[in-house]
Amino acid sequence: MPLYQYLLRRVIFAIPLVLGITVVAFLIANAIPADPINANLPQSALNNEQLVAAFREKWGLDQPLHVQYLTYLGNLLQGDMGVSIRTNQPVLDDIRQFLPATIELATTAIVVGLLLGVSFGVVSAVWRNSPLDYLVRVFALIGVSFPVFLLALIGLSVLHAQLGWVAGPGRLDFLVQRPPHVTGLYTLDSLLAGQWGTFRNAAYHLVLPSLVLGLYVSGIIARITRSSLLEVLNSDFVRTARAKGQREFFVIMRHGLSNALIPVVTLLGVLYGNLLAGAVLTEAILAWPGIGRYAYRASTSQDFPAIMGVSMLIALIYVIANFIVDLMYFFIDPRIRYA
Amino acid sequence: MITPVAKPVTVPASNLRRRLRQLRRQPAMIIGLVVIVAWFALALLAPVLAPYPPLEQNIQNRLQPPNDTYRLGTDELGRDVLSRVLYGGRITIPAGLAVVVINSIVGWLVGAVAGFAGRAWDEVMMRVTELFMAFPTIILAMAVTAALGPEIRNAVLALVIVRWTNYARLTRGLVIEAKTAEYVTATRSLGARNPYLLFKTLLPNTIAPVVVYGSLDIGNAILLFAGLSFLGLGPEPSSPEWGRMISIGIHFFDQWWMWLFPGLAIASLVMAFNFIGDGLRDMLDPRTRT
Repeated sequence: MPLYQYLLRRVIFAIPLVLGITVVAFLIANAIPADPINANLPQSALNNEQLVAAFREKWGLDQPLHVQYLTYLGNLLQGDMGVSIRTNQPVLDDIRQFLPATIELATTAIVVGLLLGVSFGVVSAVWRNSPLDYLVRVFALIGVSFPVFLLALIGLSVLHAQLGWVAGPGRLDFLVQRPPHVTGLYTLDSLLAGQWGTFRNAAYHLVLPSLVLGLYVSGIIARITRSSLLEVLNSDFVRTARAKGQREFFVIMRHGLSNALIPVVTLLGVLYGNLLAGAVLTEAILAWPGIGRYAYRASTSQDFPAIMGVSMLIALIYVIANFIVDLMYFFIDPRIRYA
Repeated sequence: MITPVAKPVTVPASNLRRRLRQLRRQPAMIIGLVVIVAWFALALLAPVLAPYPPLEQNIQNRLQPPNDTYRLGTDELGRDVLSRVLYGGRITIPAGLAVVVINSIVGWLVGAVAGFAGRAWDEVMMRVTELFMAFPTIILAMAVTAALGPEIRNAVLALVIVRWTNYARLTRGLVIEAKTAEYVTATRSLGARNPYLLFKTLLPNTIAPVVVYGSLDIGNAILLFAGLSFLGLGPEPSSPEWGRMISIGIHFFDQWWMWLFPGLAIASLVMAFNFIGDGLRDMLDPRTRT
């Protein structure tokens, strides 16, 4: 199947999913027993009849449910996700402001998670049942069992407060100026502006949160890599490669790992979603001003439009991440191309 | 003349004994079981074991590091951390269990109806399940609790809304496989109607894997519940819940005992459930056996 056909199929599959996500978000917003006016307007506006009426009209609240949904979808397509009760700004503007920080964090974290997870998984599978293997398995177990907020606190207390190896909360030191806004990723923006000092500071601040989140996903990655590599190393083509007299390193890397990584890639889309969820807790502790912390603050101040906006956004990111994973599949797994 | 040679007869060990022998080869599973039983006992006996009432304040002795009087130290109001950690199990463990039990019931119903009815029903119900899976678990749960108000019951409800999907998919597969079995055809030919087939014939034959899956999921449920409660979306602030204690402990960062001990309580319990889960998977799926 040629690439464009494959792409087209994936896009067509994604459309009903995205529409469905809006339906679910709409239904949840409607199914909750709380009055939508109470849930979506700040306390101060509730006594103002004009404001309440305007809100009712804008979201079509006096119309039947399916008309309400269409109104909602129409507003959504124009980028209108409602107004945050807490910040009093359109939710979309808030998201635009906070999203880059989370993308910077999640991307670094997934790279850290992959590096740690895959190398641990390989070590564990190659030296199976050795003390090293047990060590890795215990490590992986800690990764999936420790609450991510505990990891963040331990990291903050040991690596930052005790040892001083990493920077503390926030994206930059107090006195460091923000780099000029281009992408919103401080590391990238400071590089683009040629500000080395700012870059160093931003990177230094990125270490702890991305390490915490990276550890959190590396446990899962290490487990999958281990079991999948073990299975591959038992297969006939690996035996053939060995019989040909190829060096063990080459056998493991070229024949073993490149096949064993397919399930890991499959998982990446799901993991990225996990990571964004884990980011809520990490960002809350490490004062990382991303959408995770935004969602956290929204949820504790009953800011329903904001939190619904974030969950829909992350659901969309999840769909996109899985779409990218499907694309990567096309390149790593030749079976799809010839199917 | 050929004399028949009696073949040596091997008596198969009873299923239970074989399982027990397998268990002996899984030390991690035994550790997990011991830890879980210990936590259940500690939570049950908390009123007897705790040296102080979990809500008793003693301002003069606030923020004490672990010492002989307060084994795990005291918090910002002089409450005994040990007593609070012990009582914490009485909130988190039942909450985790409740999430899993309700999820098993809801998931079983949705999955069984989808698998049994087939065709359009199946298609629609499974697409809806997939949609729920696209939402980020904890953020959707945050949205639900934010709308309903922070309360233990609402946190449990939120986790049901976001996590029934895996149960439904599992059950659907099981029911589709089982409904073509001869015993189902036989029951149907005896004149059984659909509700009877579903609840009297298929339920007992498909519930076991769902229960196993649920028991593996308790660890996740506990982590998520603690996460919600850490964010302030679970029990009320003064309650001795582990996630809640940690979130208060953050403000007293240098008093590490305030957040470390409840954290270790969560971690040890979840780890124990994961030990069991890994062990069960190894026992049931010989391919992953190492």
